[in-house]
Amino acid sequence: MTTAKSTDLPVLLAVRKPEPSSSGGFRLSLWHGFVLAAALLLSVAAADAAAGPAVASIPATIWKWTPLIAQGFALNIAISFLAMAIGTVAGVPLGLAQISLLPPIRTSSWFVTQFFRNSPWLVLLFYCMLLLPFQIQIGGTTIPLPGWFKSTIGLSLPVMANVSELVRGAVLSIPYGQWEAAESLAYTRRQTLWHIILPQCVKRITPPWMNLYAILTTSTPLCAVVGVNEAMTLTGNILNAEGRTDLLIPMYLYLLTWFFLYCYPIARATLALETRFQVR
Amino acid sequence: MDLQPIWNWFRTLHDTTGINLTIFYDSFDRARFFNGFLTSVRLMAVCIICSVIIGVIGAWIQGSRLRMLRLTTQGYIQFFRNTPPLVQLYFFYFAVGAYLRVSAGNGLSTPLVSNFTWAAICLSFWAGAFNVEIFRSGIEAVPRETLEAAESLGYSRLKAYVYVILPLAFRISLPALNNNLVNLIKTTTIAYAIAVPEMLYIANQIWSDELNVPEMMNVLLLIYVGLVGVLVLIMTRLERALRVPGYMP
Amino acid sequence: MMTHRTFLTALAGLAALSVTAAIPANAQTLDTIKQRGVLIVGSKADYKPFGFRDPSGAIVGFEPDMAKDVADKLGVELQLEPVVSSNRMQFLQQGKIDLMIATMNDTPERQKVVGIVQPDYYASGVNVMSNKKAALKKWEDVTGQKICGIQGAWYNKYVAETYGAEIVAFTGTTEAQSALLQGNCIGWVYDDTAFAGLLTEPKWADFEMALPTIKEEPWGLAVKLEELDGPWGKFMHDMLVNWHKSGRLIALEKKWGIPPSPYLQQLHDKYK
Repeated sequence: MTTAKSTDLPVLLAVRKPEPSSSGGFRLSLWHGFVLAAALLLSVAAADAAAGPAVASIPATIWKWTPLIAQGFALNIAISFLAMAIGTVAGVPLGLAQISLLPPIRTSSWFVTQFFRNSPWLVLLFYCMLLLPFQIQIGGTTIPLPGWFKSTIGLSLPVMANVSELVRGAVLSIPYGQWEAAESLAYTRRQTLWHIILPQCVKRITPPWMNLYAILTTSTPLCAVVGVNEAMTLTGNILNAEGRTDLLIPMYLYLLTWFFLYCYPIARATLALETRFQVR
Repeated sequence: MDLQPIWNWFRTLHDTTGINLTIFYDSFDRARFFNGFLTSVRLMAVCIICSVIIGVIGAWIQGSRLRMLRLTTQGYIQFFRNTPPLVQLYFFYFAVGAYLRVSAGNGLSTPLVSNFTWAAICLSFWAGAFNVEIFRSGIEAVPRETLEAAESLGYSRLKAYVYVILPLAFRISLPALNNNLVNLIKTTTIAYAIAVPEMLYIANQIWSDELNVPEMMNVLLLIYVGLVGVLVLIMTRLERALRVPGYMP
Repeated sequence: MMTHRTFLTALAGLAALSVTAAIPANAQTLDTIKQRGVLIVGSKADYKPFGFRDPSGAIVGFEPDMAKDVADKLGVELQLEPVVSSNRMQFLQQGKIDLMIATMNDTPERQKVVGIVQPDYYASGVNVMSNKKAALKKWEDVTGQKICGIQGAWYNKYVAETYGAEIVAFTGTTEAQSALLQGNCIGWVYDDTAFAGLLTEPKWADFEMALPTIKEEPWGLAVKLEELDGPWGKFMHDMLVNWHKSGRLIALEKKWGIPPSPYLQQLHDKYK
């Protein structure tokens, strides 16, 4: 009855790959990037056909301005890295303070977290841009605060609050047995957190943390509204300098494509990490 | 109810401490800031409702048998999730809006879609993309046995979705939905960039005219934190009311 | 566990830091510039031809050229900082820029906030570039109509209150122009000098500037309010007189294709 492959007393079942997602499990990772690029080319071709012969072609114009957009986009990425770094470094202690044993620390850190989580990012940006001084003096040295740095601080505040929530959730999701085992081995609370609990949290935090980074990157164009010269401001300046309405759709699609090609791989990596780090 | 004494108190506050809150004692600023507040709340309400509807429909399409339909929905989700909402807004309002014009009277052509509507559309689709994922994971968390039981009772696919799966999935996804709706409320401030007269836009006008930036910023922060607090309160009440005892942690 | 003591020390440290984070008092700008070797000037980057970007990303135009003259006279490098109407005065107040040449109208309210150096270097009035089909003839025609504007412009409130127009204000001129072309508003309220240049372009063929120019205000460049009577303010005053005397501004006008303005001719004759 049974074939040579199977036995009636299987000791070790064959490893089964995880079920493909109900979305159909498409394979091409940059498929949607291609769709965007195709839409771009289509609109470009259409505008090209409509434009007169004396006008420079749209692809040539876009190519001419690409170095400037690349410069602006590099600033976006730099802002996102820095804001993420500052936010994480500030958010971890804040998250730990939320589970502190001292009530005043607990309440005040909870308050700070909730306040910055619930504030709109654009309002925080305006706040930092307009109300932070342009330079600070520590001791005898003067440190200038350029505009992009102030908006980075503005963006790092909600990141800090979100990281604080992630840390708190991760620490609370560690089984209580770990705390009890550490206590029975005479670890102090600080040692337990630092050597036992937090290392286990790193895995749990990583996928939502990367998700937060993607959200942060798509929020960096908000800095354009407060006057930082990143990719979006420069796109606006370019459209003004060129002065052609048929350039509107291609330029904005171009900018969207830049962001998409950066964020989509991050999203895929996050998904892969999520399945790998799944806590069973 | 005569509120003039309250407004006068704010005027004396300005005279004594220099804290300039014209939105209270100046009737022009008071009127326009209140209108801005109403516009903000209207935008938030419209976006919340539309994005939840888009999420429900999208999650249903994700379970469809037609591969083309699933891929298109996935494409929509990935586009709106991985691109900045501000750039999306500019794209829709300036680029797409340039081609959607109808002729008004006297030979002029006006845009078919107003800037408030574009903001509502763009933000609803942006939040809807996240909602589709949230509802989909909620649907997947419903045990297969429940769906099979519904099928064995003769429910069609649509009826099973509406009467059996969606109520359970909704309860499971409430925390994540709460999070996303809070983000949506905070993101409505980007409508400022296309001149929708919501709170941040009006506040900007006021602080340009009256030069009272710190006061206006603090007022804005407090109001937004308050609005988010109200939403979280409603959602927590909803969660508690819909809780199935013993079903979920 | 974070003890009470550690927390309090951290809090005290932060408080100390914030106390010293005050804006430095009264460093003379002229000395700072010479010491630094760089002059930082705030200029527009979206107002062709007074300040706009070329493909390399540099800001060029009428006003950047003026800034270059100042930097050359001082013997330092020039650094241009792009500003918009809603932040140019704040940047100057904060000290982020040393000098502001950003198409700013000289008004008494603004003179209380920043130090506008006399004499003024250009003039413009408020006007509306409107769609010909809207057939605006007098200012009262804008009542109840949607008029595009720029955020932070001082005349937005005036036009809204006096004539009852509905101002739809955008962050930059690019957005306002796009909105106007799309019909989101029937006109754009801005400086008439900007329109004079734009209306020669073919894409604005269906638009006109039919209303009488009101609120003719000269443009002033500004330094920090405290510096107006100091060495820096005096230096800029001399530069301005020289510019008018030598006809440099009229030459710059011609270089950037701006239609000749009677205001500049007037001032040139006055200081000759």
